[in-house]
Amino acid sequence: MEIIKVKDLDFTYPEQKTRALKDVSFSIEPGEFIVICGESGSGKTTLLKLLKRELAPHGNKTGSIFYKGTELEELDDRTAASEIGYVMQNPENQIVTDKVWHELAFGLENMGVPTPVIRRRVGEMANFFGIHQWFRKKTTELSGGQKQLLNLASIMAMQPELLILDEPTSQLDPIAASDFITTLQKLNRDLGLTIILVEHRLEEVIPIADKVMIMENGSMILYDKPEYIGQKLKEIDKNHKMLLALPSAVRIFNGLDSEGKSPLTVRDGREFLSNNYKNHINVLERPLKEDENRDENILELKNIWFRYERDLPDILTGVNFQAKKGEIISILGGNGSGKTTLLSVMAGQHRPYRGKISIRGKRIRDYKGKDLYRHNIALLPQDPQTVFLKSNVREDYKEIGKVMGYTKEEIKNNTEEIAEMLSIQKLLDKHPYDLSGGEQQKVALGKILLLEPKILLLDEPTKGIDAFSKSVLHDILINLKRQGVTIIMVTHDVEFAAIVSDSCGLFFDGEIISMGTPVDFFSDNNFYTTAANRISRHMYNNAITCEDVIEICKLNGVKEIHAK
Amino acid sequence: MRNKKINYFIIMILIPLSIALGVILFKDRKYNLISIIIAFLSCLPIFFSFEKGKTSTRKMTILSVMVAISVAGRFVFAAIPGFKPVTAIVVITAIYFGSEAGFLTGSLSAIISNIYFGQGPWTPFQMFSWGMLGLIAGLPFMRKLLLKNKIILAIYGVFAGVIYSLMMDVWTVLAMDGVFNARRYLAAVTTALPVMAIYAVSNVVFLMLAIKPFGEKLERIKTKYGI
Amino acid sequence: MKSFSSFHPTVLFLYYLSVIFISMFTMNPVILGCSLIGSILFFSMMNSPKVVLKDIGYYLLVFILIAITNPIFSHNGETILFFLNDNPVTLEAIIYGIAIATMLVAVIFWSKSYSEIMTSDKFVYLFGRTIPKLSLVLSMALRFIPMLKLQIKKVNQVQKTLGLYTTDSITDRILSGIRVLNSVLTWSLENAINRGDSMRARGYGLKGRTNFSLFKFYKRDGMLLIAIILILVTAILGFVFNIFDFYYYPAVSSLEITGVGILEYMFVFILMIIPFIIEVKENIQWKLLRSKI
Repeated sequence: MEIIKVKDLDFTYPEQKTRALKDVSFSIEPGEFIVICGESGSGKTTLLKLLKRELAPHGNKTGSIFYKGTELEELDDRTAASEIGYVMQNPENQIVTDKVWHELAFGLENMGVPTPVIRRRVGEMANFFGIHQWFRKKTTELSGGQKQLLNLASIMAMQPELLILDEPTSQLDPIAASDFITTLQKLNRDLGLTIILVEHRLEEVIPIADKVMIMENGSMILYDKPEYIGQKLKEIDKNHKMLLALPSAVRIFNGLDSEGKSPLTVRDGREFLSNNYKNHINVLERPLKEDENRDENILELKNIWFRYERDLPDILTGVNFQAKKGEIISILGGNGSGKTTLLSVMAGQHRPYRGKISIRGKRIRDYKGKDLYRHNIALLPQDPQTVFLKSNVREDYKEIGKVMGYTKEEIKNNTEEIAEMLSIQKLLDKHPYDLSGGEQQKVALGKILLLEPKILLLDEPTKGIDAFSKSVLHDILINLKRQGVTIIMVTHDVEFAAIVSDSCGLFFDGEIISMGTPVDFFSDNNFYTTAANRISRHMYNNAITCEDVIEICKLNGVKEIHAK
Repeated sequence: MRNKKINYFIIMILIPLSIALGVILFKDRKYNLISIIIAFLSCLPIFFSFEKGKTSTRKMTILSVMVAISVAGRFVFAAIPGFKPVTAIVVITAIYFGSEAGFLTGSLSAIISNIYFGQGPWTPFQMFSWGMLGLIAGLPFMRKLLLKNKIILAIYGVFAGVIYSLMMDVWTVLAMDGVFNARRYLAAVTTALPVMAIYAVSNVVFLMLAIKPFGEKLERIKTKYGI
Repeated sequence: MKSFSSFHPTVLFLYYLSVIFISMFTMNPVILGCSLIGSILFFSMMNSPKVVLKDIGYYLLVFILIAITNPIFSHNGETILFFLNDNPVTLEAIIYGIAIATMLVAVIFWSKSYSEIMTSDKFVYLFGRTIPKLSLVLSMALRFIPMLKLQIKKVNQVQKTLGLYTTDSITDRILSGIRVLNSVLTWSLENAINRGDSMRARGYGLKGRTNFSLFKFYKRDGMLLIAIILILVTAILGFVFNIFDFYYYPAVSSLEITGVGILEYMFVFILMIIPFIIEVKENIQWKLLRSKI
């Protein structure tokens, strides 16, 4: 019997005209791993919350949801709380208590489980999830990845049969995210746990899913095995937005108009190319870059050394770096390598103890008061929520006007201008915290742009946003570049860096090593490179993006089919 | 529900009153010890009524946020001597969430802030003082007054600073004399006048600056999540 | 790990309660002296010599201050030493001042070691049963504070790069402090709602909640508990039978030395130095163990 059965589910939020969910029906067998994807605002979270009774939003609901044949509303309290587990997006906000061991026990305490049993289950969970080393720590001392693992473990301690996860990895760095997803796969395989997962990180989760569901505007438009998702989506709409979000292997497969089961992983993708395409042309000709940018360096770092305190180790050890007008430069690097520190030093938040930083030909220390931040350099922090202070976006924008010394009229015009450029007109009168992650990002960027910076520093600008928001951000950055703004970002997102940057560099061990154009940079890297490059590098030398791979495959043409 | 609250309120006054009376009648001289016990016991009725009452998980989390904010605020203003936003935050919480929340924010803030700044026999005194300041600000008619009239709010800020300082001076005298010595108290109050003034001024400054923005936020949370 | 702090929270709490209670209940100089010695000895075991010396120096000043000022405010006592501004300064008042200073400093040192030993998780555990909701509120608040501190730091930096309130004047400091606190308030309120949801999702609020803790009650906890209770009872008997009676006014009474009295004082002294003895015993044991290897 199916573990979840949803029939004709309709849902409308209070005082809203449009339905958040339209006529959704599907069923899930025990032990299945289901991935749900869709743009933000497509109704994914609403659907998930309706599946977890305690979190069901208020509103008008019709249709029914069955858990193991019983309507969800009729389940008894204990079953509902313990058998259906729910992990949310932000690892920080779900942790209730201040100690790891207490957090693990929290759900069991609520269920009234006696102490000896709790002791055993908590021990079991700590071992399974490798938590035993930090079992007695304070929850605030954990890293983001550990926190999310703790959230998962504390739910697993209640022995759920169905696990629902709403973008659990969006706030994690790539390595912690991969670890988390691997753990989910293990839970599914080893324990037969049924999992429903909403994710943006489709490259990794689609290959391990049993079925993929795609939502759009509150409707379920697709529910099928992952191998067929790409093709079916293309049948619905040749230019469907979600096509961009699919794993690289699927996108290449689609771009080449192939039929049948699509490859999902890098390995499958490589095999697909080897079996089907020739490689007599192995270098993609690219239009030569227009004249070398001969402008003055707008930002220059010479031999920069920095540490937070005298007795702490150096974070920057002789960094040299320069940027010219209108360049987009990405600095990649592992977690905790000091990328964010590098940005904060560039922005003048911290002072290096050795070396020289000049901004537009003037040394950074010669800027007085707020001059450094007016018409000059601006930093978009990783967490957009730190930028907001007021109760709506417009008010927040007004404040910058004061710093810049604008008149009321100017503030109004500038706000409208920025809003149009970022297409956030509809968001201006909303409370910043009512916006989605991608929207918050854009609105925060807008506030920063009001400072009219010549140099824009971005810290992980694609963290936690979906593929569509990323492509919007891409367009915004290119637009700013055209206006002559220099953009420097630090990021984990190789795919994004590959399509947007003029040059990329790797930050490692306190300095920037190997700067180069994306093509040179990524085709020289083995591991730190795009999925498309990993899929194609055994045949073609410099294909970086999916589009590159598709183009070069088309140039080479299909292999003659050998008889088996 | 209302009746029950009033009952607790009476108990709260009665317990300390009867003990104080007993102490005076029996001419016991352990005022320092007795005063701590009284201060602590006075907190109990509200604690227990909170335990028994129905409180949503959301309200509990909000309460913990307000406690944390009032303690963390001490770190923000650590650079300016004597400027502690605790009272202001307790009062604002009380205005928006009522007496019980006000009292709890005040007394729990005392416990927690002393975990960071040093626990001692004065903890119950602080619990009681901050708690009461919250409780009074949260009484239905006070809430209306404080919200409507900024001057009254400022006066309450001064009052809170003075009362808090006077209460803590009581503790100083009891600790230093073992008995309540009026001359010592007068001396203590006089020497503490500058501190009292800073308390009063900082309370007024914080209340004036924070009531609007903080109030907006609390109001929004109240309507958005129906608390 | 300090060994006294590894005892069960209930035992520790009862210990501190009785020590502080006894110290504050009596003015008997012998008991106060025992308490001061016990508290400082234990405090010295818990901290580096540098910290200990600094603190002792500071409280020596407090001690002298109280002892000196008492005669200024209190003119009781019959042995007048001299007159200050027409007010008599008496020997009794000075001695009383010394006694009360001893009490105060002892209690402060007990409180200091209490803060180090009764960590928040022990506190939350102790009250988890009697006041479950409040102890959860406390536990959450304790978790928020480090988070808030971090967020305050972040917001502070970001606000600076926005060019706001960049000077060091007191108005700018207060205004920017309020703004930062304001931003952090929104942040924590909005996110706290999530936490409430996460609590309900895990069944918070169902009937029959249990309390789990890592603290176990071992045999040694039981032994210490019995010892504390026994000594407490004998001490109370001492109070009841007026063995510890001592007066400063009008004249300082003399200590009556009787067999029972000495025994009683011995018990109190043992109570006051229990933590110190436990630490010393543990240190010696470790040294022996190491030398055997």
